[in-house]
Amino acid sequence: MAPGLDKLQHIVVLMMENRSFDHMLGSLKAVNAQIDGVTPDLSNPDTNGNPVQAQPLAEFQAQLQPDPDHHFPAVDLQIFGGSTEPNRVANMQGFVKSYFNQQKDAGHSQKIMYYFAQNQLPVLTTLALQFAVFNRWFASIPGPTICNRAFAHYGTSFGRVDMNLIYLNEPFKSIYDRLIGATPKHTSKLYYYDTTSSTMEITNLLQNQPELFGTFAQFLDDCAKGNLTDYSFIEPNFNDHESDSGEEVANDQHPDHNVQAGELFIAQIYNAVKSSPLWPNTALLIVYDEHGGIYDHVIPPACPPDQFTASANDTGTGMPFAFDRLGVRVPAILVSPWIPAGTVVNRVFDHASIPATVTKFFLGDYSPRSPRETNADVFIEPNSGAVDPARNLLSLDVMRTDCPDFDV
Amino acid sequence: MTIIQVPRPPKSAFDPDRPVSSLLKAQMEYLHEAEKRLPSRYHSEIYVNAVKTEGEAAKYIRHVTEAIHAAHLDAAFARMRVIPKRKPVIEIAAVADEQAERKAAIQKKRSGKKSVRKDRPKT
Repeated sequence: MAPGLDKLQHIVVLMMENRSFDHMLGSLKAVNAQIDGVTPDLSNPDTNGNPVQAQPLAEFQAQLQPDPDHHFPAVDLQIFGGSTEPNRVANMQGFVKSYFNQQKDAGHSQKIMYYFAQNQLPVLTTLALQFAVFNRWFASIPGPTICNRAFAHYGTSFGRVDMNLIYLNEPFKSIYDRLIGATPKHTSKLYYYDTTSSTMEITNLLQNQPELFGTFAQFLDDCAKGNLTDYSFIEPNFNDHESDSGEEVANDQHPDHNVQAGELFIAQIYNAVKSSPLWPNTALLIVYDEHGGIYDHVIPPACPPDQFTASANDTGTGMPFAFDRLGVRVPAILVSPWIPAGTVVNRVFDHASIPATVTKFFLGDYSPRSPRETNADVFIEPNSGAVDPARNLLSLDVMRTDCPDFDV
Repeated sequence: MTIIQVPRPPKSAFDPDRPVSSLLKAQMEYLHEAEKRLPSRYHSEIYVNAVKTEGEAAKYIRHVTEAIHAAHLDAAFARMRVIPKRKPVIEIAAVADEQAERKAAIQKKRSGKKSVRKDRPKT
């Protein structure tokens, strides 16, 4: 018996931009030793070989300029420290070197090691401590935004490791197409912030199925009226712009956008879900698409390869990539009133876990799916047959009434 | 229940003149591909390669996103305009029926009235 799973009807995913686990949640190691955050011994060598320590000196804005490189060759350097040997071993020792390459400024390059103190991020750290935080959620690819976000929608990037957004006539359906095409039909919506921010990666769907899309204002309204679809995916505001209601500050937390604006956005979403009549029936995943070139100390693990391979030319490293290694670790938090406070999850996940979980929960067995998605773990157990209590994160018998509130 | 205060970003956080990032560039390029597939009446007159700031990028992104929605809405409206063509026929038929009924009723009434008149005793 799993009352939380019995009640669960809606899964909401919020995907933020470009921050690593250590950068955002590394401070929590001092609060809860189970959280695999920053310890005083963590460092990276600068270009002279001198150690640069991870320090709680991160600032909300104007610190990471230029935007740290997070394209495939740069991330390869960050993970492998610059080694290109055939039997090289990942060591997470190339972050300072990589950032130095952009400006040749040794002092500035040290900022890539900075992380936020707990009290700077009251929303994200509170949610991490109050619900389930994932110690091993990795980006799907050691590369940039678009291909990583593709994994959240399709369970694969179809062999791409770049910023190409076109995914047409591919062999695997998006999670949205799977849901609305199912019998019985399920519902799904992708909410972008507003038309001026628009959607980042699936213009295929925007062009051909605009009915799948809504704005953030509509999300708030859907929460308030209890009209959430079975599966919702939320995108933040990707740019500073004027709107009818005034100045809209980008809240995606992509460097160099203001991190506090993202905190506010996360709090608004949490509050909307928590005050919704659907709160007992909803699970909210907050996750970041990739690390944005910012330091993290956990070595991304190998994984079963995808059926696609990126050529040596496409990766820009002189080596092909079989999608057999995950990207750098990112913050991920699962929120539900059925999750005990202080839950720390040590199983390995990546963004392919999103369509894998949503598909298994709402549709059960589904084919075809990419090898990466088929092998990805699920963060919500399918509520059919016997549920393994060791894997079920929505494990409480009685719904919590002590969940925090944010004053926004 | 704990209530946690969430600080707002400072006013200075807003900077639409910030140089456009590689992420926004990719988004614009993608939307430009989408724009090219739209009928020409939905095209913007913005030259995407000349966009340098977030504010400029935002204007273009908004235009194309709204254009995509407008194109779909217009297509749906056009479909609706085609389908109901049969409706007026039915309505006309219904009106015709009603007219026929009304005519018959009037005739009946008239003939009834006539008969009343006929039957009415002369004064």
